[in-house]
Amino acid sequence: MIEVKGVEKRYGLKKILKGVSFTANKGEITCLIGINGVGKTTILKAIMALTPFQKGQILIDGKPIDKHSFEKITFIPDSLTMLPNMTINEAMEFMKDFYTCWNQKRANELLGFFRLDPSNRISSLSKGNTAKVNLLLGLALDVDYVLMDEPFSGIDLFSREEIANVFTSHLIENRGVIITTHEIGDIEHLLDKVVLLDDGLVTKEFSAEEAREKEGKSVIDVMREVYQK
Amino acid sequence: MKNYLQLVNFEFNRIAKLFTVLLGITFVAQMIGVVVQSRSYLNMANEKMYKEMMPQAEFLENFGQMSFLQIARSSWFFGPIALCIAGVAFYIFFIWYRDWIGKNTFIYRLLMLPTSRLNIFFAKITTILIMTFGFVAVQLIIIPIEMLVMKAMVPDEFRLDMGVVEVLTTMPELTLIYPSSIMQFIFHYGLGLLAVSILFTGILFERSFKWKGIFAGLLYGGIAVIVLILPLLLHEFVLNSYFYPIELFVLEIVMGLIVFAASIWVSGFLLKNKVTV
Amino acid sequence: MNVNFNNRDPVYLQIVRYFKEKIAIGELEPGQEIPSRRELANRMKVNPNTAQRAYKEMEEQGLIYTEKNHPSKITTDNKILGQVRTELLVEAVDQFVTSVRSINVPVEELLDLVKEKYTENSEKEV
Repeated sequence: MIEVKGVEKRYGLKKILKGVSFTANKGEITCLIGINGVGKTTILKAIMALTPFQKGQILIDGKPIDKHSFEKITFIPDSLTMLPNMTINEAMEFMKDFYTCWNQKRANELLGFFRLDPSNRISSLSKGNTAKVNLLLGLALDVDYVLMDEPFSGIDLFSREEIANVFTSHLIENRGVIITTHEIGDIEHLLDKVVLLDDGLVTKEFSAEEAREKEGKSVIDVMREVYQK
Repeated sequence: MKNYLQLVNFEFNRIAKLFTVLLGITFVAQMIGVVVQSRSYLNMANEKMYKEMMPQAEFLENFGQMSFLQIARSSWFFGPIALCIAGVAFYIFFIWYRDWIGKNTFIYRLLMLPTSRLNIFFAKITTILIMTFGFVAVQLIIIPIEMLVMKAMVPDEFRLDMGVVEVLTTMPELTLIYPSSIMQFIFHYGLGLLAVSILFTGILFERSFKWKGIFAGLLYGGIAVIVLILPLLLHEFVLNSYFYPIELFVLEIVMGLIVFAASIWVSGFLLKNKVTV
Repeated sequence: MNVNFNNRDPVYLQIVRYFKEKIAIGELEPGQEIPSRRELANRMKVNPNTAQRAYKEMEEQGLIYTEKNHPSKITTDNKILGQVRTELLVEAVDQFVTSVRSINVPVEELLDLVKEKYTENSEKEV
C-alpha cells in the first residue's frame, strides 16, 4: 500500500499541497483527478522522492522510500526520460543494466503489443510511439507499484486506445497503479478508486464500484457533486 | 560499485563525441601550427639566404635554429589547449544541467535508479577527471608526433632538437598542466578536483533551491575557500610563520580532504533530500 | 463480447448480467467453458480486478464453477439455470409494469395488447 499522509508542499510562497492524504492499494487502479495545476504531478514526484515536501509523510508498504524502493515502485512521467539519441534497444539495455527487476520477456511482449521497432531512435518516434516507449520502459519492470502521469494526454486516438488496453491486461494485474488525469472520459470504468483533488487538498476519496453500487452514481456524478458545491 | 562503474561508462559515452571533436581540433590545429611555423621559418631562411645572399652560418647566428618551442609558443598550439580547458570548464556545469533541460529530462531516470544517488555525483566527477586526464594524456602523445613532422620539414642544420620533457619543463604555462614532481601533480590536480567538487555542490544547491540556492552555493564556495586557506592565513597573520613548509603542506592537504569530504556529504544530502526535478 | 457499460451501475454487476442474459437465451450452454479472467478483462476492456470480482460474484451465485486447474464452466445445475431465466423475466416484467402503471390501464386490456404485440413480433422474426 502507498500511504500519503498530510503532505504539504510550497514552491516559494505558494502552497501547492495543503495536507494531502490518501492511500493506494496493491492490485488496484487509483486515479488522481483534478484540473491542471492542482498538484497531481507534484504528488507523484513527492512519492518518488523527486521533490522535497515540508510536512507529512509518504510510506510504501509501511516504509519511507529509499534506493531499494526503486525496484518496487516506478514512475512513468508524462514525457519520455531517455536520451533522444538512444534507440529503443539501447534504452532497454540501459534499464537492464541498472534494474534487477527488469523483465526482458515482458519488454519484448510490450514491443509486440505496441508494434514498436526496437531499432528506432527515440528522437525519430511519433508522439504516440514515444508515449508507448515511455510506458514500455516502466511496465517491463517487475515492480509492485506503477505511477503514471497523464498517460492519455496529448496523443492520438488510436494510441490512446492501445494504451487503455494496457489497463485491461495482465501487464498491470496484481500491481498497484496510480494514474493522474484531468479528464476521466473513456477510462471511467477501468478505475477502482478515485481521489479527487482541488486546491491542494483531497476533496473526496472513494471506490468507483461502491459509488455505483450504493448510490447509483457514476464517477462523473460524484465529481459534479464535489466540484459544484 | 557496479552501478557506479556503469554510470561512469554511461556518462563518458555521453561526452565521447564532444571529447573526440575537441581532440580532433587539437590535433589538427597543432599540426597546422607545426607546418605553418616550420614553413615560415624556412621561408625566412630562404629569403635571407637566397635573396639577400646571407651565408648559412650568419643566418643561424642571427636568427637561431628552429626548436619546438617556437611551435609551442604559438597560438596554434595553445589555442586548442585553451579550448579543451574551456570545454572541461563548460562541461562541469553542463554535465548536470543537460539532465534537466529539454523535453526528455533524463534526471528523472537518474534519480530513480535503484542505487545511491551519490553514485551519480561520483560518476559525473569521475567523468570530468577522465576527460581532463584524457586531454592531458593525448597531448603528451601528440607532441612527439608533431616533433617528427617538424623533423621531416626542417633540415638538420637548422633544427635544435629537444625532448618532450625538455619542452614541458622550459615552458611555465605547460608546467601547470604537466607538473614536474609528484607533489606538484597532487597539488595541481587535487586542487582541481576539489574545485570541481565545490562547483558540483554549488550546482546542486541551485538545483535544490533555485535562486536562493545560488546564494547558498556561493556561500558554500566562500566558506570552502576560507576553510581551505585557513592554515595559510593563520601561518601568515596570526602565528608569525610558525609552520615548516612541509607541515603547512600536510595541513593544506588535510584541509583539502576535509573540504572534499564536506562537499561529498552536502551533495549527497541535497541529492537525497532536497533536489527537485 | 462487446458490452457498452453504463457508468452508473457497478461494472462487475454489468458483467454478471451479461452472462445471465447469454445463459438465459442459451448462447452459453450448461457446462460450457468460459474465458479466463484475464481474457475476459481483455475482451470486455475492463480492469482485471473487475473481471475477478465478477467471476467471484458468479461463483457465489452458483452461475459458474471452477475445478482445480481447469477453466471455469457454466453451471449444470438446472435449478440455478431456471432461476436465472425467471430472474431476468421477473426483472423485465417489473420494469414494464412500473412504466405501464402510470398510464393506468385495466389489466385485461393490457394483457390483450401484450399478447397481440408479442405474437406479432415473434411472427415477424420468424
